[in-house]
Amino acid sequence: MITDFRYRGASLAKKLFITLMIAIMLIYVVLIIYPLFNMVISSFKTNRAILSKPFALPDSLDFKNFKTVWIDKGFSRYFLNSIFVTGVAMAFVILFGSMAAYGIARYTYKANTLVYMVFLSGIMLPLKAAIIPLFLLIKKMGLINSQLSIIMIFMAMGIPSTVFILSGFMKSIPIELEYAARIDGCNDFSIYRRIVMPMVAPAIALVTIYNSVPIWNDFFFPLIFLQSNAIKTLPVGLSTFFGQHSTNWSLLFTGLTIAILPMLILYLFMSKYFIKGMTAGAVK
Amino acid sequence: MKRNVVICLLIALVLGGSLFAAGTAEQKPTGTQEMTVLEFWTWRPEDVDFYASQIAKFEAANPDITVVQTAHKNTEYNTILSASLSGGSGPDVFQGRAYGGLATFADSGFLEPLEQWMPELKNYSATALLGATSPTDGKIYGSPAVSQTVFMFYNKAIYKELGLSIPKTWNELIANFEAAEKAGYIGLGNGAKDGWTLETMLGGMGAGFYGGTEFYNAVVKGDKNFQDPAFITMVEKMKSLTKYMPDMYMGIGYEDMRSNFINELSPHLIAGSYEAAFFRSQNPDLDFDIFAVPGEKASDPAYVSVYADMNFAMNANSTKKDASIKFLKFLSSKEFGKAMVTDMKMVTSVPGVDASADPFIARVLELQKNATPYLFLVGFRYNQPTGSSLWQAAAQGIMAGTLTPAAAAKQIQDGIASYYKPFQK
Amino acid sequence: MDHDCLQQGTAMNQRTLIKTSWILLFITPALLVVGVFILLPLFMTLFNSLFSWNQLIRNEFIGLENFRRLLTMYPYSERFLNALQNNGTWFISTMLIQNSLGLLLGYLLSRNIPGAQAFKRIFFIPVLFSIVAVGFLWGIYLKPTGLLNNFLDLIGLDNLKRAWLGAEQLATPSLIMVNIWRWVGFPTLVFLAAIDGVPQECLEAAYLEGVSEWKLFWKIIFPLIIPAITIITVLTVIGSLNVFEQVYTMTGLDGAPNYSTDTIGTLFYRTAFGSVDAGSPEIGIGSAIGLIIYLLTFAISLVSIFFTKRKEVQL
Repeated sequence: MITDFRYRGASLAKKLFITLMIAIMLIYVVLIIYPLFNMVISSFKTNRAILSKPFALPDSLDFKNFKTVWIDKGFSRYFLNSIFVTGVAMAFVILFGSMAAYGIARYTYKANTLVYMVFLSGIMLPLKAAIIPLFLLIKKMGLINSQLSIIMIFMAMGIPSTVFILSGFMKSIPIELEYAARIDGCNDFSIYRRIVMPMVAPAIALVTIYNSVPIWNDFFFPLIFLQSNAIKTLPVGLSTFFGQHSTNWSLLFTGLTIAILPMLILYLFMSKYFIKGMTAGAVK
Repeated sequence: MKRNVVICLLIALVLGGSLFAAGTAEQKPTGTQEMTVLEFWTWRPEDVDFYASQIAKFEAANPDITVVQTAHKNTEYNTILSASLSGGSGPDVFQGRAYGGLATFADSGFLEPLEQWMPELKNYSATALLGATSPTDGKIYGSPAVSQTVFMFYNKAIYKELGLSIPKTWNELIANFEAAEKAGYIGLGNGAKDGWTLETMLGGMGAGFYGGTEFYNAVVKGDKNFQDPAFITMVEKMKSLTKYMPDMYMGIGYEDMRSNFINELSPHLIAGSYEAAFFRSQNPDLDFDIFAVPGEKASDPAYVSVYADMNFAMNANSTKKDASIKFLKFLSSKEFGKAMVTDMKMVTSVPGVDASADPFIARVLELQKNATPYLFLVGFRYNQPTGSSLWQAAAQGIMAGTLTPAAAAKQIQDGIASYYKPFQK
Repeated sequence: MDHDCLQQGTAMNQRTLIKTSWILLFITPALLVVGVFILLPLFMTLFNSLFSWNQLIRNEFIGLENFRRLLTMYPYSERFLNALQNNGTWFISTMLIQNSLGLLLGYLLSRNIPGAQAFKRIFFIPVLFSIVAVGFLWGIYLKPTGLLNNFLDLIGLDNLKRAWLGAEQLATPSLIMVNIWRWVGFPTLVFLAAIDGVPQECLEAAYLEGVSEWKLFWKIIFPLIIPAITIITVLTVIGSLNVFEQVYTMTGLDGAPNYSTDTIGTLFYRTAFGSVDAGSPEIGIGSAIGLIIYLLTFAISLVSIFFTKRKEVQL
């Protein structure tokens, strides 16, 4: 496209600008890749080597830590539990969140702002602050030691920011598109489903990854609400490597390396939507 | 179209997950005989294997009781326990903290007073029982498990190499630091990034200067305060040690300072008795021992600071009190105490356990002849802001040079005086 | 005539009814989940600030006494003010550095700077890290013998070596820099998505007319991405007033050294829940801190929403 920043045909000043910007971005790339690399190599090292020579390469690529973590420490089960919990919670976060965002952004009514405020106020304070009343609530519902408890909590944690971000994006979709669809006989739900949702696909991808990461990594709520080993999630498994006076960094990094993989895959999958661009395909 | 792919994937994920979850649903114990299941919580994930082996012994002797152990992350333990106990559930038996950390739960009515269940508690030392007693009603709410002692660790091999010996006066200690520095070692491995390690440092080197137990008793009564010249002298002495601490010691955290000692970059580290097991596991070749930091003169007592660290406690709302008591009694038995010494290298609080089998523990007990209460932890860890948190922050200011010893002492004094009655007269 | 009007009236009512039921259908599920699992427990917590507490047991109603103690009594008042200042530093630095950097990067990526496809895929990766990994890795990069100091040695700037996380003046800025490292990908992608939503024809037309780059950005693109700016500003307000994890994992619950990295989040947590070092929970005062964070966040968010709304233009 002609608006692209390209070297060809650009003025000297613009060339310099582009070069400088690329240099900055390359430095940032190095700052991202190195810690990732550091984390992965640490999973091949002993505890002592991690603490005394954190930047050195491991002596050998021995996968025994992975075997210990995956099999002996039960991470294979934790891993699947985490995928299940995060998957279900996120599916509902996106469904309910986008519906609510649609209900706020695409209609004008008196309580509109109020509803918006209610959702907004849900992001104001971390839910951790309310752990004691939350515990009582979950206990009354009989959900202690059930994965449903943390699925509901994770849904509640994810929905407010989803509504907030998506309603912002949905507001900027031209209303004419909706009229056209109505003339074609679409009802409200199919306008949401066929017109609005595809147009905010990049934003959906964004909130999916934005909310999945904290849900995937949260150990606090599973630690409190899940007691039996069969239903615990991956971060709970990770928390057992933290001792009071000695942390098993070696197994911890192995666990962290395993834990980041699904998020990396999810992100690389979602990143297609940013690359495609927002308006391409959807409008015409 | 791609959206449909995402949706299909999500559905597949959810379905797959639910099938899996169904497959792994909790299997009910099949035994028909009545089994009492006890929940037991600890904050020591590193000791899971130890407790598992002890629980196996207990279960062998009590076939009708099963104990399920859950080790929580230390830093979140109090929060999880508060939430569960406030919600009327929680474990039957659990590791409780000592002093204020136990009193919180005791005063809220969540703990079972133990004297009527376990009369043998009266045989415990007064030091151990203080950590298990609520100051509000004077009742005992925990069975004391271990105590910790703070002193100087030193590297015997480096001492031999440099021809050093255990110092008998403060000046000899400083001379040892100098000698180590001259030989290219870090004089003292401690750092100041993590505030609580400065409380450890105070416990290891301070008591001789502020006047040990005598001062402790006087401040607790309110006869003396933290602006006392002796206390300020101690602070100045501590500050003077920064010369021998690592380069940019303000950035040296807990793991780094232990690394300095384990990897023999420094022959000295002021730390607690709980480190011994870790040092051995990380560097089995490390040849270390301990000494108490001497006073100015050789005739001054060389103090070590001691505190109760852990109590086994029982949930007042437990429906299985008889079984819980059986387990508590097991955790208070001499065999268990002995196992604590030999397997965990911890100083057990159970009276009558022969600890001499382990040379390190024997040495700790020897140093305890000049034991003094670990000042802020024992005396001022009940209300907010605790003496500990005030000291930890102020000490960082002192070590960094942003706070004078006198200003630091005032900060601590005013903070405690905001709630501590004896300081308000 | 009368009859006609009546019919029209019922048709109107019916349409309103249909519209209302559609709205209810869309918002009820989310509202229910958020209401029950977030707002209810949160308000129960905030309510606690009006009571006196004996350890974990609620005693009698004392009105605003907890607020009075928090705001006027030493050392709470001093801690609170200090923490609030640090939150202010977080907010200003995040707005100035992270969000402008995000805007710049998002803009460059939307204009397909060489390498854009790869950069888009990489910039968000730090967000995927667990905070545990971030805390440990950046801890060893910033420690006295860490990577940053080694690097300064290498390029001959060894007089700039510092104990980054241990010096009172540097600890908060260091934490903020790590946080920017972690999060700058987020505003980048939000702005990228927003700029990509600006009709390409607008840009091309302006471009062909020879509008300068500077003008193109400020006069055409910027006004059209105000909604995204609102989103990022509000999320920054919320994030900066709730800073917790980064401090907790890197400098501890007390905001070491000497409270220089303390934030309202850490102050709230250790007051309300206590800790081994911090002592018994003070639920009353802790909840009062929580309520103040809540109201403050809400007020500042509203101000920024209305402020940016005024500048919004409809497509």
